[in-house]
Amino acid sequence: MNEKELLQHYKTTGDLSALGKLYSPYMSLLYGVCFKYLQDPDRSQDAVMQIFEELIPKLRHYEVDNFKSWLHVYSKNYCLMQLRKDKRTTQVDIEDNLFESEQKLNAQDESKWEESDFEKLEGCMQTLNEEQKECVRLFYLEQKCYKDIADLTGYDLNKVKSAIQNGKRNLKICMERKENGK
Amino acid sequence: MENNYQLSRIHNYIHGLMSKEEMFQLEKEALEDPFLQDAIDGYRLQNGVDARQLSLLQQRLNRRVENTIATRHAQYYTWQRLAIGAAAGVLFVVLLALLYFKHFTGKTERTTDVTLSEPENLVTIEPLLDGGDATPLGGWKAFEHYLNNQLKETGIGGDIIVNFTIGKDGLPAQIQAEDTPDQALVEETVRLLRSGVKWQGSKGRLKITFPLKERKNSSQSHVIKPPHCFGIEKS
Repeated sequence: MNEKELLQHYKTTGDLSALGKLYSPYMSLLYGVCFKYLQDPDRSQDAVMQIFEELIPKLRHYEVDNFKSWLHVYSKNYCLMQLRKDKRTTQVDIEDNLFESEQKLNAQDESKWEESDFEKLEGCMQTLNEEQKECVRLFYLEQKCYKDIADLTGYDLNKVKSAIQNGKRNLKICMERKENGK
Repeated sequence: MENNYQLSRIHNYIHGLMSKEEMFQLEKEALEDPFLQDAIDGYRLQNGVDARQLSLLQQRLNRRVENTIATRHAQYYTWQRLAIGAAAGVLFVVLLALLYFKHFTGKTERTTDVTLSEPENLVTIEPLLDGGDATPLGGWKAFEHYLNNQLKETGIGGDIIVNFTIGKDGLPAQIQAEDTPDQALVEETVRLLRSGVKWQGSKGRLKITFPLKERKNSSQSHVIKPPHCFGIEKS
């Protein structure tokens, strides 16, 4: 059974082993996500199990189209709720949370690019700040990894990463604006 | 298995065990896949992948799933037991009901027995219609009822046939007993007839049977009388 069939099977029968099969492949990713927010191995493990517990009733009622991204958002929210309960000041980068909506935009990427699109892209590139422009160019056009870019530019590795993420998002927004402005 | 593949990639990536091309590839995937990116961030914070932790997690999940399946089996059997229990309960109630009805029916039979023998303890009257046309106001039944309530516990018993006429006040007058039985019986009869119930008609002839024993229960005065009680006496 593939993921969709497992989901449907669980939804109709409530067979927990189906949910286990569905959940198990994501556990290592989930653990990473939980650790990112909770920063504690034991809490992260418990969180992974607790999220599973919460899925048991939820997935019987909700229609979930894209399980992977749904699970990601769900687990992230779960961890953030945990942190809020702690009343601990969280250091969650707002950029990372903005990042979410991008998956939906990705679908449009597959459409064919025309000459005018490349011109638009070039125009949009000019709207980025220097860091973003440089990093995006090195990453997407020269296909260099973050480490190389960091070495080349002298920026910190995390800075490279967020410059690329933000640059990519800004480009997307810019492209869409031009699209709609036609 | 996609999972473990990603895991080893993350591990290699964090520990710098990847070629630049591989690193780029993973980074590009992570840009499209925020889930992957978050996981990479997390493992980087943890300084690597701990496979033992993850296999523990996998075990916990397996145990969780198995437990629920076991619980469900247990519940299933519990339901089965419950169903058997419920069926037994229903049978028990039905049995009780049957027993109760049997018992109840037996009781009524016994009551009937009692009422059949009861007339001995009660005053019964037989209006002898060949001797008169008088009827008590309110009917024979009520009259009999009245007699039973008024009866003194004299301990006397026996039959008496009386003839009387109805006076202007509606009460029996010129009460005469036939065959002159026990004087106490006559006096009691006169007392009872003169004490209350009014009549209509002009003449009455009546057979009254007094109980031999003292009445046990004055409230038990409602008597089911055999129909022949009201028949015409053949003389």
